Amino acid sequence: MDDGEMEDVAEGPCGLSRITLSQEENVNTNNYGNSEQISMTDCEGDKAERPIEDCQIKGEKAKLKKLCGYLHKLGMKGPLKAWKYRFFSFDEKKCHLVYYRIATDVCPLGSIDLCTATFDMKVEMEEGTFEINTPSKVFILKAVNNHAMTYWLQQLQLRRWEFCKGDTGIATGTWLSTETPVSDFDSPNANDDCEFLPPVKTPTEVVGSAIASLPAPQESLSLQNISLKHPWKELQNTVRNFCTSKPTPGNSVFHFEKPESASEEKAGKENHGLEELSKPVPKLSPSLNFARKARRLNGVTNPSHEWVSTEMGYIEKFSNPHQQIKALTRELDSQKELVKLLHRTVEAAHQEKRACSDYLNAAEEKDRLELVRHKVRQIEDLRQRVEVLEKENKDLQQTASLKDVHNTELKEHIQMLMEKNSAKQEVILKQTEQLLIQNEPEFVKANTTVTLHQLWKKIDSLMDDLEAYKTQNQFLNSEILQLTNLWRNASEKEKGLLMKCSYLEARNCQIESKYLIVLRKLQEALPYLDAEYCEVIKNLIGDALQSVTKDGPNQSPIYFNPVSEYDDYGFMIIPHYEVEHLKLLAKIQALEIRSNKLLTQDVVDKSLKTKWDNIEELAYSGELKNLIRCGIPTEHRKRVWKWLVNGRARIIPNYYAQLLKKCENSPHPATQQIELDIHRTLTNNKHFTCPTSEFIHKLRRVLLAFSWHNPTIGYCQGLNRLAAVALLVLEEEENAFYCLVDIVHNIMPADYYSHNLSGSQVDQRVFKDFLAEKLPRLTSHFQQHKIDLSLITFNWFLVVFVDSLVSDILLRVWDAFLYEGTKVMGLWNSWVIFRYALAIFKYNEEQILKFNEESDIYHYLSFFTKTICDGRKLMNIAFNEMNPFRLKILQNRRAVHKEKMKMELFELEKMKEEYTKKKDDERTELDMVFSEDEEEN
Amino acid sequence: MAIRELKVCLLGDTGVGKSSIVCRFVQDHFDHNISPTIGASFMTKTVPCGNELHKFLIWDTAGQERFHSLAPMYYRGSAAAVIVYDITKQDSFVTLKKWVKELKEHGPDNIVMAIAGNKCDLADIREVTFKEAKEYADSIGAIAVETSAKNSINIEEVFQGISRKIPPLDPYENGEIGAMKLGRPSLQSTNRCC
Repeated sequence: MDDGEMEDVAEGPCGLSRITLSQEENVNTNNYGNSEQISMTDCEGDKAERPIEDCQIKGEKAKLKKLCGYLHKLGMKGPLKAWKYRFFSFDEKKCHLVYYRIATDVCPLGSIDLCTATFDMKVEMEEGTFEINTPSKVFILKAVNNHAMTYWLQQLQLRRWEFCKGDTGIATGTWLSTETPVSDFDSPNANDDCEFLPPVKTPTEVVGSAIASLPAPQESLSLQNISLKHPWKELQNTVRNFCTSKPTPGNSVFHFEKPESASEEKAGKENHGLEELSKPVPKLSPSLNFARKARRLNGVTNPSHEWVSTEMGYIEKFSNPHQQIKALTRELDSQKELVKLLHRTVEAAHQEKRACSDYLNAAEEKDRLELVRHKVRQIEDLRQRVEVLEKENKDLQQTASLKDVHNTELKEHIQMLMEKNSAKQEVILKQTEQLLIQNEPEFVKANTTVTLHQLWKKIDSLMDDLEAYKTQNQFLNSEILQLTNLWRNASEKEKGLLMKCSYLEARNCQIESKYLIVLRKLQEALPYLDAEYCEVIKNLIGDALQSVTKDGPNQSPIYFNPVSEYDDYGFMIIPHYEVEHLKLLAKIQALEIRSNKLLTQDVVDKSLKTKWDNIEELAYSGELKNLIRCGIPTEHRKRVWKWLVNGRARIIPNYYAQLLKKCENSPHPATQQIELDIHRTLTNNKHFTCPTSEFIHKLRRVLLAFSWHNPTIGYCQGLNRLAAVALLVLEEEENAFYCLVDIVHNIMPADYYSHNLSGSQVDQRVFKDFLAEKLPRLTSHFQQHKIDLSLITFNWFLVVFVDSLVSDILLRVWDAFLYEGTKVMGLWNSWVIFRYALAIFKYNEEQILKFNEESDIYHYLSFFTKTICDGRKLMNIAFNEMNPFRLKILQNRRAVHKEKMKMELFELEKMKEEYTKKKDDERTELDMVFSEDEEEN
Repeated sequence: MAIRELKVCLLGDTGVGKSSIVCRFVQDHFDHNISPTIGASFMTKTVPCGNELHKFLIWDTAGQERFHSLAPMYYRGSAAAVIVYDITKQDSFVTLKKWVKELKEHGPDNIVMAIAGNKCDLADIREVTFKEAKEYADSIGAIAVETSAKNSINIEEVFQGISRKIPPLDPYENGEIGAMKLGRPSLQSTNRCC
């Protein structure tokens, strides 16, 4: 029944038509349907849980007809693997296919979730068998025939589509404007009908709500049919059925009206139907309108289907009186015949009467005799005629028998000829076979024996199979298409939701971090507040901190998204602060990093990723340089680093293996130190904190090999961190070894890691010059508070920010550091470190300027690198705001400071020598004094 | 109460547990695999001492020998130095002596020295006896303590000892006698563990 139809009619002139229309459908099904329908309207609403009633109510509302009916279901569990007869009904609210033992049952035996189900049909199986595959179970069902099966499958598909589509519409349409319109997939069936299975007509005798009222056809076999799995439900249903079978009208939906009343109703309805028909055209036209409207409204499936069904109702109604007319005319004809017969008898009677009256009227005896004689003569005459006729008859019979004999003779002859013919045919066949054998001597004899007839049979069955496979193929195609569409919709939806989720999460992080910042401010102001406020704030801080430690990164609500506790390289994402009162800051930190990541991952990272995916061959270029400064995506980093390292380092085959062999044979003096440091390398990385990790062994070998490769450096604390990062990215230890070699020998200036780290110390001085130039305000602030920056920055340079910056930014810095560590003017350079070191100070300049105590400044500087979350901002400062930054100046300053330091060292050595000499002298003097004292004692 | 900032630096061979001692003192936390210090790391902790508050500005330094050239940066202007050795490693005690020598020669004149024999929880594989350390400490006028950052033994005491040896800001007001003698303390720590 159609929605639009109902409304339209309700507004129409005739209020009664509502009933008529709602019953219309049942008119063409069967009488049971009628009675059920009528009883239904009586008790509607008081038993909503009744499946059949449910379907009726919904049937009125929904666009589609209620889908229900009996099917066989293969019991999968238990010892009895048998077909069970079940009543299936589609629940539109949940998109479930619910099944009952019989239609009148209250409690379903089970339900199948169609949202996640796929449908399948197999030719090999019995006729009408199809499968519903849900993630958890496979249901094998059997309809009475293939037609019904196809109907079921198509309807199920349609409903699944309707449900899922509706679902999508709600979820995506609400907030995302960028969402691709779903309309492309709106009507999968409408346009595919031509390619795939055409929609089959409703097999009314096996599906539809009317079937519910029919007794289950196999109820006699109830023992087999009883569900073993649901004994309780069985019991419930049985009890219900007993109750409802009591003659309490209005209680049972399936209460059958008394026969008379039913027929009365029927008659009444027929009258209605006639009325309907006799109504003038304007009465019909609104219904035509609504049909059109409905078609427009639906636009989705195939409204013509329903239209046809209502049309059918009318035709049915028309044909009924026609038949009556026919019957009546027939009756009239027979009556006429009867009248004629009666007329004839009346006529005969009249004649006899006349003869009698003539005889009686004759006046004399003579006349009467004459009359009698005349009659006798007449009789004689007639007798003679009869005799003649009899004779003729006999003759004819004789000729007939003769002809018969002749006929049989002819038949025999024909038989003979036929036999002859078939014999001849056989001979011909044999001869042709022989001919064939002669023509093709290798032709297998077995084949020749196969008669034409058998071949035909085979072909027939094959054709049948072909047909079946065709249908199967068509169905599966449509199924695949629909599933693909569903999947696409679902993934679209998921994407949208994920985006929304990450957006909301980012917002949440921001809000939470703001809250924490407020808390922190309050915490700082704590000493100046009233005691009661202090208590409240302390509690709040305690709560905020506890949620960090208690929930753990895994369960905390902040971390339900794909971002885990560790990043791709195994670094802990949340910076770990050692100082207790910085934990609030740590949390703010983590939240900011997270919100940053969430906000950029969708937009920025994706566009970069596509750019990276388009790069096929790596070559130095301005474009690549800019891309690399933005950070190499994880999946490309290994390749790029390898390319960069191999481009610079001289790789000698087997060299690494030889070095390893050397390590085995003779331990390097640095071995002890390496061993000491290996277990305390990258303590915030899970690959290095786990003692059984392969990375630990790799790191040991790389460092040992390096100590033999460059004996002047051997091992310097810090090299372990460089090698560890190289290992994490490059994975293979030989590559990591060459990366380390590349950094130490090529990118960094000489003497950076050797004996007295003079290269590093020179760079500290150079850096101070640059800081004074680029950030004069900060430099004077530092000078004012006697801050020696190299206490802080020394290790930045030595280990290229490892353990200082958050892993995400660290690797980005390394990308640029490795790429731009190329030779310029014959000199290797590490200007990326300078740029970033300056950028780090610039990034936090205002914050640093707020501190006015030496210890506060040092304290802030000892952790502030980890507070940097916005890698893009930092990169911008490093490569744009710090310009102009000339490499030439860097090299010049390095040279100048190197000279200066050499001089200083020389003087220091001299001073030291003098000092020791002086001390020695003093000591000898003192000793003399002491000995004098002792002597005194 | 007046807050006094005291710069303290930790010196000693690599891997003896300088950072662990600081970590235990400041955060009361111990981590087996604490990252080796490169350059230096900075932490603060405030402890009451008498009627003063001593805020320790602790500079933890790198142990490897080639970082020694940076050491002057750290001990320059220090009020005290904690020189750490590993009781299970004789070598680390030799290094300690080198540090003492360097401090005597180039360090601030009145620097308070404390000698901490760390890892005293591993006494069964000890290589340096407390007697030896104590005698040496006495000879240079330093505090001698055996500590365990792992088991939190004598860590506070090291810094308390330093606090006690630091001369008060105004000796006339406080009138403490011991603080007047610099370099040759009358108070000697008798703390020992195990």
